[in-house]
Amino acid sequence: MNPSETILSVRDIGVRFVRADGTPVMALNSVSLDIFPGEFVCILGRSGHGKTTLLNVIAGLVHAQRGEVRVMNRPVTGPGVDRGVIFQQDAVFPWMRVEHNVTFGLRVRNVSKRERLRIAREYLTLVGLSSVARAWPRELSGGMRARVAIAAVFANDPPILLADEPFGALDYVTRRQLQAVLRDLWRRTKKTVLFVTHDVDEAMMLGTRVIVINNGAVAEDRAVDLPMPRTDDDVATPAGLALKHRLLHHMGLE
Amino acid sequence: MRSGPDGPSPNFAGRRSRTALGDRAPFHQRLISALYTIAGIGLFFAVWWLAASQLPRSRLVTPLDALGDLWANFLDAPRLGVFGLGKTGYGSLLLYTLSNVFIGLLTGGAVGVIVGIASTRLKFLRAMVDPILLVLGTVPILVAAPLFLLWFGVVPFTQVLLVAFYSAIMMVLFSQRAAENINPVYERWAMTFGAGLGLRVRHILIPGTVPEILGGLRITLASAWGLEVFAEILGAPSGIGQAIKALTNLNNVPGLLACVVLVAVTAIATDILLVRLARRIAAWA
Repeated sequence: MNPSETILSVRDIGVRFVRADGTPVMALNSVSLDIFPGEFVCILGRSGHGKTTLLNVIAGLVHAQRGEVRVMNRPVTGPGVDRGVIFQQDAVFPWMRVEHNVTFGLRVRNVSKRERLRIAREYLTLVGLSSVARAWPRELSGGMRARVAIAAVFANDPPILLADEPFGALDYVTRRQLQAVLRDLWRRTKKTVLFVTHDVDEAMMLGTRVIVINNGAVAEDRAVDLPMPRTDDDVATPAGLALKHRLLHHMGLE
Repeated sequence: MRSGPDGPSPNFAGRRSRTALGDRAPFHQRLISALYTIAGIGLFFAVWWLAASQLPRSRLVTPLDALGDLWANFLDAPRLGVFGLGKTGYGSLLLYTLSNVFIGLLTGGAVGVIVGIASTRLKFLRAMVDPILLVLGTVPILVAAPLFLLWFGVVPFTQVLLVAFYSAIMMVLFSQRAAENINPVYERWAMTFGAGLGLRVRHILIPGTVPEILGGLRITLASAWGLEVFAEILGAPSGIGQAIKALTNLNNVPGLLACVVLVAVTAIATDILLVRLARRIAAWA
């Protein structure tokens, strides 16, 4: 795919919910985006400002009342194998062993058993879980299960990866480790990633571009011109700090 | 079922957790548990013995007398022949009851699970099924059993149908609850891998509901024993319920207690087998 062509375009998306008490809520209001192949786009925003809704619309899990989402120039009408999703909630199937979780998407696509196992071994090694391939998910920690989810989605080889605050419930050290795992897999596979987070530091550490969603609209869309892979020192440079202040400002903090 | 979001689960080092289905605990815990069970059984028999020593033999006999009657009549119980049961013993009568319980439970349970799971995904089916369940579920067996006997006669099919009927109702309710309790994130995740409805039913809905359905099946099995014996007492060509009816007419207390012990022991044994099967099927839980 030509890197100058959009892999994902969001046009004038509008989503409205009605609360239980009958109050209408505008979750997204005229959101438009163009995402290019190989980008690592962090969607940043406060809780309840529409970033997860945007990701769900792109994933095809939520229907927008207005606008259109196109992936590789095809309209999105529902979930599809071209968009892998890592949820905030633990979605790893407890009744499947780790390796069967990783090969689930491949089974759905009728990939041969030998090939499935080869791919599972490859990705479990990349996420550091090759020794627990036959374990049940209940035998793993939360961080390990997050690694299983990452391996499962990458093993299915979707061109676009959507991640909805996948490390939000993890401790700081585990979160940093998993950020490194995801960043390494992204660099290796050159996939396009949309990563929802409310953590400015996480967005600046991972993203090649950061989009701030505020009150259901795009408040800021900016490239992160810092070296990749990034260290804490890179983020602490004057350019990094200036960007951080700008992002915090758009989130209503400074 | 799961550990915390970032901490390793306590069973990561090879120890297995306990679940509703009775996952294996360490040896010393199992030993203590077995000793308590033995103590409980011992206490039960001690109370029985004490009560029997205070009451006349026409009311209550000792456990040894009941077991003696069971031993003497297990293969051949001539006194039951006069009640139209032919040349039979408690053993063959129990076999009749056991087979009816299992045929009724399996057929009724299968229908119940299919209807229960399907009705949580098909709104029209749920709308049709729920009012029917509400009505049929409130029909007492004292009303249903004579009706079934009138419609189908004194044949084994009648008891099987009665057990299947109530098992199906119970399993619809257990299956509905099991399917509703599955976290929707599993189906959403499966959809993002391209899994259609058929694959989601096969890989998410069925395995995800198994532990709760097996738990429900245990309760239904316990009820099925009671239903079958009661249906046999009301009218059946054979079965331990018919023996109980005949022995009641003969005022034979040792025989009655022997039949009760036989049914209780067999019901407990089938429950233990079901638990072991459940552990194997739902090893992940």
